[in-house]
Amino acid sequence: MIRLTSGRHAVALESLREGPGPTLLCLHALRGRGVDYAPLAPVWAGRVLALDFSGHGASDRPRGAGYTPELLVGDADAALAHAGGEVCVVGAGIGAYVALLLAGARPQQVRVAYLLPGAGLEGSGALPRTHLDGEALRVEVTALLEAAAQRTAGPCDPMLRLLDNDPRPPDYARAFADSAQRLLLAEDGELRPPWWEAVREAAAALRGPADPRAGLAQLRASVD
Amino acid sequence: MDVTYPGAVPPERHRMLTSLGLRLHVAEWGDPQAEPLLLLHGFYDHVHAFDLLAPLLAQRFRVVAYDARGHGESEWPDAYAWQADVLDAVNVLRDLGPSVCVVGHSRGGGLATDMAAFFPDPVRKLVVLDGFGPPPLTHANFFQQRRLRRATSEQLGEWLDWRRSVASRRNFQPAASYDELARRRQVQNPRLSLEWLRYFAAHGSRKVKGGFAWSFDPLASRPIGPFRPEWAAPGWRRLRAPMLAVIGSEPDTWGPLPEEILAERLSHAPVVTRATVQGAGHFMHIEKPRETAQLILDFLAERT
Repeated sequence: MIRLTSGRHAVALESLREGPGPTLLCLHALRGRGVDYAPLAPVWAGRVLALDFSGHGASDRPRGAGYTPELLVGDADAALAHAGGEVCVVGAGIGAYVALLLAGARPQQVRVAYLLPGAGLEGSGALPRTHLDGEALRVEVTALLEAAAQRTAGPCDPMLRLLDNDPRPPDYARAFADSAQRLLLAEDGELRPPWWEAVREAAAALRGPADPRAGLAQLRASVD
Repeated sequence: MDVTYPGAVPPERHRMLTSLGLRLHVAEWGDPQAEPLLLLHGFYDHVHAFDLLAPLLAQRFRVVAYDARGHGESEWPDAYAWQADVLDAVNVLRDLGPSVCVVGHSRGGGLATDMAAFFPDPVRKLVVLDGFGPPPLTHANFFQQRRLRRATSEQLGEWLDWRRSVASRRNFQPAASYDELARRRQVQNPRLSLEWLRYFAAHGSRKVKGGFAWSFDPLASRPIGPFRPEWAAPGWRRLRAPMLAVIGSEPDTWGPLPEEILAERLSHAPVVTRATVQGAGHFMHIEKPRETAQLILDFLAERT
């Protein structure tokens, strides 16, 4: 395991597989970790790197808990710099959103991003959490303040709660989809967050298998 | 601190309060037994921005101000998020008791309003000094022009490059003297006098290699993400506290918003009183501290 500097703190990067061929960078879902991808690594002929995002697994919990999806993009960017050259990226849930932003912000280095469904940003719509009111609001505030007071507890930072429904307007996601080289969306017919629906319409986006094993095999064949 | 300014009274008491694991600097003026009044400063500012206003309010209140994360004497976090700043404000508020009046300026006004909308019960009254969110993109100021010209995805790429370089920096470019810090700041805020800015610099900078630098985290200077100016107001319908919305009569770098935009935003808050400080710009509490204090004291004294 390698520790990389991401801004002011450190994140953990695990090599799940070594070997010649293109590099695959794996980005886990909210409250997951890099090794979640271990069962999939044998599908990929080449190097497979798996990141623990800030606040997850062996990575630091950032001082002050300033969690945004853009912070996680910063984590992934540190892994991209470490990998060097071009990489393929696979991400699930919030990891898929981060893969999308990275593919749009670093189009020269991200050849393709494969987006899988998963935890994180499910509650995100086009607007901030203004729908919460009365009792629901009190419950949310209490949960956040309790999380803030117990940041060292549990397998991942309780303050990651901030990422459950950070507002993510569809046209923002679409801007990244339009500048990405290529995107592959795991499609199983289920309803996805608004940002996902917006990505589906972009020219760079292809529909791919819902089964991640089949999707990675397809991706690997296409980058030879 | 040997630099003084007419009417400026530095805080009488200082302490640290931990929020989300970060130590925040809290400063107080006035009788500790009096009713608490919380002040929130603006972007690039610090608690001494209230050294003119706070002593006037302290005649009736226990006045409490804190340095926002990354500002003044508060600690610097590893990363910034608006929601984390809102939770800091909630934590300071909860420390002050079950009924608190709140005054916020500029960014601190937006923070105070979001805090009061998110955690409404302890906020008795809310005063916002020209802090009603950024202007709409159609009224872009010179800070936004550069952003508008570049694609969203390019901006994030540049932000990632910048983040790689800035995270290890401890300061902005140092200035040789307080005077130079003051002159630099006056470019952004031309209505503020050099004499005031020199006082502000003396109380909000530190000695570094090569001179003086503002006590401000370079990493805080460049927010990123999909925030839209029109998001500023919809949550304000949850406010329980009556709001006094104050602007200055004079056009300034950061305000006031065009009237039709401001009126639309304020329409989201249930109970609003409007006021204008004549002859002042964005920093009315520095340009006209007496008039601003009187407006606040009158509003807080009204029965509701």
